[in-house]
Amino acid sequence: MSDISHLVQFLFSGITVGSVYALIAVSLVIVYKVSQLICFAQGEFFVFGALTMTTLVSKGVPVPLAFFLSIIIAMALGALIQQVLIRPMKNTSVGALIVMTIAISLALRGLALLIWGRESHVLPPFSRGEPIQVLGAALQLQILWIVGITTVVLFLIWFFFEKTPAGIAMRACAENPYGASLMGINTQKTTLVAWAWGSGIGALAGMAVAPMLFTQYTSGIMPMVKGFIAMSIGGLGSIVGSVIAGLLLGLVESYTIGLISSKFSDTIVFALLMAVLVFRPNGLFSRS
Amino acid sequence: MNALKRYWWLILLAAIAVYPVIGKPSPYRSGLLIFAGIYIILAVGLDLLMGYTGQISVGHAAFFAVGAYTSGILTAKYGFSPAAAMGVGVVFSATLAFLTGRPVLALKEYYLAMATLAFNEIVVTLIIGFEGLTGGASGLRDIPPFTIFGFSLLNHLHYYYFVWTVVVLVIASSIAVVRSPFGRALIAIHSDEQAARSFGVDCAKYKTRAYMLAAVYASIAGSLFAHYMGFIAPDDFGILTSINLLVMLFLGGIGTIFGPALGALFLKLLPEITYQFQDYELLINGIILIVVLVFFPRGLFGIFTALRNKIVPRMGK
Amino acid sequence: MMEKNGHILTISGVTKTFDGVRALDDVSFSVRSGDIKALIGPNGAGKTTLLNAVSGLNPPTKGSVLFEGRDVVGLRTDQIASLGMSRTFQLIRLFTINNATVLDNVLLGAHMHLRPTLLETVFLRGRIKRQEREATAKAMDLLKLVGIEKEAHALPGELSFGSQRLLELARALMTGPRMLLLDEPASGLNDAEVEEFTRLLMTIKQQGITILIVEHNMKLVMNIADDIIVLDFGRKLAEGPPSAICANPDVIEAYLGAQSKECGVTQ
Ligand SMILES: Nc1ncnc2c1ncn2[C@@H]1O[C@H](COP(=O)(O)OP(=O)(O)OP(=O)(O)O)[C@@H](O)[C@H]1O
Ligand SMILES: [Mg+2]
Repeated sequence: MSDISHLVQFLFSGITVGSVYALIAVSLVIVYKVSQLICFAQGEFFVFGALTMTTLVSKGVPVPLAFFLSIIIAMALGALIQQVLIRPMKNTSVGALIVMTIAISLALRGLALLIWGRESHVLPPFSRGEPIQVLGAALQLQILWIVGITTVVLFLIWFFFEKTPAGIAMRACAENPYGASLMGINTQKTTLVAWAWGSGIGALAGMAVAPMLFTQYTSGIMPMVKGFIAMSIGGLGSIVGSVIAGLLLGLVESYTIGLISSKFSDTIVFALLMAVLVFRPNGLFSRS
Repeated sequence: MNALKRYWWLILLAAIAVYPVIGKPSPYRSGLLIFAGIYIILAVGLDLLMGYTGQISVGHAAFFAVGAYTSGILTAKYGFSPAAAMGVGVVFSATLAFLTGRPVLALKEYYLAMATLAFNEIVVTLIIGFEGLTGGASGLRDIPPFTIFGFSLLNHLHYYYFVWTVVVLVIASSIAVVRSPFGRALIAIHSDEQAARSFGVDCAKYKTRAYMLAAVYASIAGSLFAHYMGFIAPDDFGILTSINLLVMLFLGGIGTIFGPALGALFLKLLPEITYQFQDYELLINGIILIVVLVFFPRGLFGIFTALRNKIVPRMGK
Repeated sequence: MMEKNGHILTISGVTKTFDGVRALDDVSFSVRSGDIKALIGPNGAGKTTLLNAVSGLNPPTKGSVLFEGRDVVGLRTDQIASLGMSRTFQLIRLFTINNATVLDNVLLGAHMHLRPTLLETVFLRGRIKRQEREATAKAMDLLKLVGIEKEAHALPGELSFGSQRLLELARALMTGPRMLLLDEPASGLNDAEVEEFTRLLMTIKQQGITILIVEHNMKLVMNIADDIIVLDFGRKLAEGPPSAICANPDVIEAYLGAQSKECGVTQ
């Protein structure tokens, strides 16, 4: 392969990984916006999405149907968790809330272990076909799916928050829950919807990369951590910021691994995160 | 009866001392208790930082790592005595906490959680990266057992007594700290930083001091761990370990010193019971924690004190 | 250190803007040593903002604050407090975490004199204990002074609203201040409590502590103030002795209104 083809290959893998980070970051941001809560269990939805779909497809359920069923199951799970476990924790410290979501993630991971065992599972690609050659680099079709799904999801989110009454209500909730409740917005319902959305998007991220990964019950941890980083770099509450940060993170990782070494790529990423937090606590892209 | 209420910890102390004599534990059992002791040191230190000072950390295992690797490298590769290496680790950890404390602890809540998490990962990835020195991802071997005054603590029971002596010292000094003007300043910071400032508390300084103390404890725990294991690997010190410490704090009852100690003990001994459930273990752990958080927000220690107050009712004042 | 009638606090040209909105606009005045000076004005006039600017909690955008001749703008809140200026809060801010008691709250007031270090806390227990005994005795005296010594071991949350305000005062006194900034210390007190409180303030004054008090209760203000400054929309509207303020048509118009009859009750 030529130098150019290397660079292109790293671009592809960077965008793939970056899309996943962006999706997870977005799912975290949506939950954070309405609940002021960072959910450490978000990585488990990634796993549940991937493994539910894998199971359904292996049982002969058509891919599109399996796709939607998996999302709906994850959304229901997220809403249930919000309703039963998070809602009663209203007046507790951030520390207690973090630990609560950690407890939930342990339980979900345990559940995944019971359902799917310790082995890894691979989903067949969404569509069959040879990789496309671009400047000497191989572009797998699944990457197109991943990028496509990410784009569609981000568009839907944008549309939802900007154009629909429910989305606008949700934004109001995020900015001022008390004021929103005065205006007759049902904050509890809005929160529930946000959790469903967040869980669904987390699951979607897992499903999209499931054909390229070996997913097992512990696979949610690293994507979740990277999603956090993207979210923090993007500014905790910013959807656009965290999408850009997620993609950036994927690219930085891919190029440092490819061009420098895989040894310190995470050191660089985490040092970047610390620097952003200390010097620009409102996110890399915030004004002032 | 009142005496019982005030001096119950003496019973605890006696139990720690006589357990090996009466229980005649196997090396495996005493090993479990040694691990529990090491985690108690970690959890109590983190409690000073989180439960008293109100500063969240999702990266406390970083200092555990610094202690363990300083001890491991200096003794296995440079022939230091374990006690000296432990001392170097303590100084190193305290310095690291001092240098990073101010900028990091200026952050609040989730930002602080993220920054401490990042700090943890930086330390771990550096350990993995500098293979030549640290053994990298495959770990550092041939760490000698602890020796004091030329006496090697190879025997499990000797090490048990050594570790638990440190545990008792750590708990005693932590209680001395929280029941002092120093501790009062920490609690004030936790309650209301601005108000604390209005009464002359230099918040940044006191937060950093609490962070340093917690780091020193963690570093000691790391040294104890390294010499007991003889082999350490980066996996022992990642964010999952830090998260485990958080779980211990809330499970046991944060902000009580004894609570996190109890949480650490419980969580380290729990696998003894749950391992027989094998694949259910993770789920059971998660559910126990959820139940405690929802129904017993003051943790196991809260349940314990409630029971104690029932059995030994208040008598006069 | 100030001779009688010297100015312990001199504020000049203090301006504070929040996102372009001027909460304080070029405010200047001084407080004579040993006086009780009242700061009055309608809601949102900038009274709390002024106290925050003086105590460093929310430093001014422009202007200078001289405390005993030293410009404190730019110092940290804890440094300013350590110079001998203490305060209470309009919205009560007591320490409540980890079962901190009423006594603990007062004892925190001794922090700036003890400045406990970690090493002495762990290794010099005897010394710490002795200091703690002395501080506790003093704290109990102050609780007695404000009249809530029986509640020393209660939690602040168990106290009545009025007692919580008194506790804030005791905590401020524990710092051994030369100047007190009080933000509506009598709001929420009933008439009997206000009277008690008035006596308490006079006692504090007799100890030579200068007081700058923000208060809406005009009866209280007229009873204790040596001097009054009126703020309105962030600007100084008037300043002078109580009688002059009461007669000032601008002040009556902007603030006193119905309350102006309270002005008659001076001593
Ligand atoms: N942190 C802040 N950010 C933005 N605006 C503020 C802030 N603090 C105060 N203000 C504004 O500054 C103005 C003055 O407020 P301040 O609290 O000083 O009034 P006050 O005189 O103490 O009123 P009150 O009698 O109600 O206590 C108000 O318009 C208020 O909205
Ligand atoms: Mg006010």
